[in-house]
Amino acid sequence: MILAFLIWLENLTLFSSLRSSAYAYPVVLALHLTAISLFGAMIVASDLRLLGWALSGSSIGDVLTPLRWPKRFGFLLAGTCGFLLFASKAEEYYYNPFFRAKALLFVLVAVHALAFRSSVYGNPAELDGAAQRPLAKLAASLSLLLWLGILCVGRGIGYVAGRPGMHYR
Amino acid sequence: MWIENPLSTSPTGFAVLECFHIAGFALAIGMTALVDFRLLGIGLHKQSPVQIARAIEWWTLGGLVVAVFSGLLIFSTDPDMYYLNWPFLIKMACLALAIAFNYTIHKRAIFRPWAPGAARLVAGVSLVLWVSVIFGGIFIAVVRTGLT
Repeated sequence: MILAFLIWLENLTLFSSLRSSAYAYPVVLALHLTAISLFGAMIVASDLRLLGWALSGSSIGDVLTPLRWPKRFGFLLAGTCGFLLFASKAEEYYYNPFFRAKALLFVLVAVHALAFRSSVYGNPAELDGAAQRPLAKLAASLSLLLWLGILCVGRGIGYVAGRPGMHYR
Repeated sequence: MWIENPLSTSPTGFAVLECFHIAGFALAIGMTALVDFRLLGIGLHKQSPVQIARAIEWWTLGGLVVAVFSGLLIFSTDPDMYYLNWPFLIKMACLALAIAFNYTIHKRAIFRPWAPGAARLVAGVSLVLWVSVIFGGIFIAVVRTGLT
């Protein structure tokens, strides 16, 4: 059922032409990496501030709040490019163990966001007090580990080739 | 006598190197972009460009060192392919320009504030140079032609 949907998806004109294009596919890949660099660093900067390792002269709110919307925009850009890459080889990705690991890590990112939303990311103004600090540091460390994991398994996806006979059925 | 480069025969070693390469350049380029975005009026506006530049300085350099050293090891797996490859040569030119720009004009624009228009231009040039390096890297595996 899922697989039938993915095969239908990858054979839509947009995605099948992206898959077979010589230059559009690598351009989307390069944009994906650009979005990861430009906006991934905003996640890292926020986490480093929560850990007290960078920008510690500023209050936590003065670092986290102005980066909130740029981070969302970057996530949207990286996500859109990522979806294009996935959709053009959806059947292959379905079987790819690194893609499955990446999907699982994204579920954990969502759990992380929900778990720390009210205590950490939702009210940065209160984080400068000493009592909140261990929780904020835990959230920041887990966030760094999750995103580094996503980066590594993401690179791994490209190392598992699809089986012959996939696509164009 | 030829000694086999162990990285050329180990896909795992190569993949791990690439992870270091991506994490390193993402850190270096992204941290520099925080300053560029600040000069363009995006993102961190409660801090001055100087404060951001000081805070990211060592993270940028650390990321750059990791990216360059992992890149040298990646290069070592197939040097004749790389040095004959157009995207690679363009990437290296952009990288040299980006690093030189970063530590000269870019630094000046931050530490001796220029007119906002000039500062925005510097930020734009910096972003374009660094992003060109990423595009060059991706296209090494796509465009297999170059010097002969």
